[in-house]
Amino acid sequence: MIRIPEIITRHVLIALRLGGVTGMAFTLFLIEFDRLTGTEAFCTGCHSMELVAVPYRESAHYNPVSGVRASCGDCHVSEGVFAATWDHIRGGKDLFAQLFGPDYDDPAINALHLPEAAFAVRQWFRRSDSATCKRCHTLDAINGTRADTLMIHQQDARGGSCIDCHYNLVHRRVPDRKTFKRDKWNRMIEREFDMAPGEADKLLRQ
Amino acid sequence: MVYPENYNKPTRLLLLVSAIWFGTFGIALAEKVTLSADHWGVAEGKACIDCHKKSSPGLFRQWEESAHAEAGVNCLDCHQAVAADDDAVEHEGAVIATIVSPRDCGRCHTAESKEMHNSVHSQAVALIGNRIPALAESVSEKALLQAGCTQCHGSVVEVRGDGTLSPESWPNTGIGRINPDGSRGSCSACHGRHQFSKAQARAPGACTRCHSGADSPDDEVYAGSKHGLLFTANRHRMNLDSDRWVTGRDYSAAPTCVTCHMGAAPGLNASHDVGMREAWSLNGPVSEQQYLVIFEDGERRELPVAQPVPRRKSDLAKLDGSTATVKAAATPKQRRQAMSRVCVECHSKGFTSGFMRQFDNAMDLYNESFGKPALSIMRALYEKGLLTATAFDEPLEFTYWKLWHDEGTRFRHGAAMAGPSQTGWQGLHRIAQLYYGSFLPQLREVAGEETAKSLIDKYTSDREARNDTGYPRAPIPLVGYGAGKP
Repeated sequence: MIRIPEIITRHVLIALRLGGVTGMAFTLFLIEFDRLTGTEAFCTGCHSMELVAVPYRESAHYNPVSGVRASCGDCHVSEGVFAATWDHIRGGKDLFAQLFGPDYDDPAINALHLPEAAFAVRQWFRRSDSATCKRCHTLDAINGTRADTLMIHQQDARGGSCIDCHYNLVHRRVPDRKTFKRDKWNRMIEREFDMAPGEADKLLRQ
Repeated sequence: MVYPENYNKPTRLLLLVSAIWFGTFGIALAEKVTLSADHWGVAEGKACIDCHKKSSPGLFRQWEESAHAEAGVNCLDCHQAVAADDDAVEHEGAVIATIVSPRDCGRCHTAESKEMHNSVHSQAVALIGNRIPALAESVSEKALLQAGCTQCHGSVVEVRGDGTLSPESWPNTGIGRINPDGSRGSCSACHGRHQFSKAQARAPGACTRCHSGADSPDDEVYAGSKHGLLFTANRHRMNLDSDRWVTGRDYSAAPTCVTCHMGAAPGLNASHDVGMREAWSLNGPVSEQQYLVIFEDGERRELPVAQPVPRRKSDLAKLDGSTATVKAAATPKQRRQAMSRVCVECHSKGFTSGFMRQFDNAMDLYNESFGKPALSIMRALYEKGLLTATAFDEPLEFTYWKLWHDEGTRFRHGAAMAGPSQTGWQGLHRIAQLYYGSFLPQLREVAGEETAKSLIDKYTSDREARNDTGYPRAPIPLVGYGAGKP
């Protein structure tokens, strides 16, 4: 007869069972939460995100010949429940900024702040060694339609990360941080939105 | 007009001095790159080659066959940029610029870059500044400007806020292109990238891509000239790939555009400052002989001889409107002397001066019989309010434009470069048809018989050869009078 230690009382067993069920439920909740909050429908619930989704819907990641569509979370949320949850926790600051920061729903303000957002995301991709790209893309399997695409990826791309070469694929084009010129960007946005010279700088300072 | 064999002693001395001046200062040496090889071959540039060999094999192949490749000049040597450059972009880890401007080429090709900067070619945008509004914006659209005009003349290349080159202004290899770095011109206007073949740039096609058609029918003139037919027949004997390419020494089978307008001849250095050797302007309503004014900063402009000789150290407006100090001025005579140095490698002095006389006579004929009368009549019609100031809203304006710009230019270019068909049937024959058959009748419609007659009387110089309506006086049987009679 196995003797159960005295510490495991009926209450403890109930608590463990409850805890286990709750834990499982919570984990399942997180998985579902991460999945749902990575969908295009959820992300574009905020008008500011709808603005950045417009070019996405023109891109090859939305309309690939293969029919495999990458949704917001496929690229911008890490794989695995813990990493995905962590990304969402970190992403909370964006929600905070959406609620209490500049009016990102205004297309001009959105476009003015876009470069910094792009730089941050590119940095995130670099740190993860383009992990979310690799969910779908496997270096060894990249053949391309041109004869030399395979060779470039086998030889020249070795040691690099996807993001090193492949950026400006989906959203509005933003130069690399190294060559970005804030002044020229602001002037471009002013022309685009029929703003007076210098107005972009004022909006940005707000 | 003074011809070389007629020069008196002081003039000869002047010519000698000017020839030395041209040889030493005016036409700077088109020298080979004298920098040591450690100025190029940047290590990071080697990675470009590995990838571009695969991603753009055609372009790679062109480069591989170039003198650049042979010398170890790689992609990054020419395309390198600093992040602060207007058109700098990040590309696979390197900071580069798509456009390699004459300033970039000038990092090694110093002399050519400087000559090009000072040449009339680099001013191609400024030069048509007053023609484009009338031609392109009144009659056609921006699309023509982009796909047509600017591909030869160039335009201001715009870099957008997202770092891309505006497709409204790029691609564009116009020779007067204003680059994002502020430099003027485009070496690839003549030197096809990425091979930069000497043979290609010396062949007429490098020039005739733009110098053809109504505005500058040099392709047609050259093709129909003895020079052009000799080139076609003897291309394989032209030594086009030679490092040194001096007329009469390294080749003699035929002259190309380069030969006469910028090439080296004994006693005459090659120069990328094309246009220095031309005595006449050929592209205005009236042709004029022109000084070549050289400013202290090396830039140039032309000035009609009707104006006083610009004095050394005096101030004069440049083509862009700014004022600069005059360093020297070459007279049309001196400019022709430089050109004639090329001619005499194959022709005698008498032959050369005889040709120049025929050319001058043709210019006088055009000016006196058509260019000047038509210009004066048009001016009077605008002054009297008989034509509106709006360009191309009246048939007479189209006729006038066609008269001097299309037919007039073809005739004058034909005469300048010995293309008889373009001078005659395609040139003066059409000018006369247009002047007598359209211009004068339309003038009478616009101004009425009386005013038209007084304008013709006033501005037509050879009155005695014409009847009251301005037409030639003598009956010409082939035109109809007496037709069919034995």
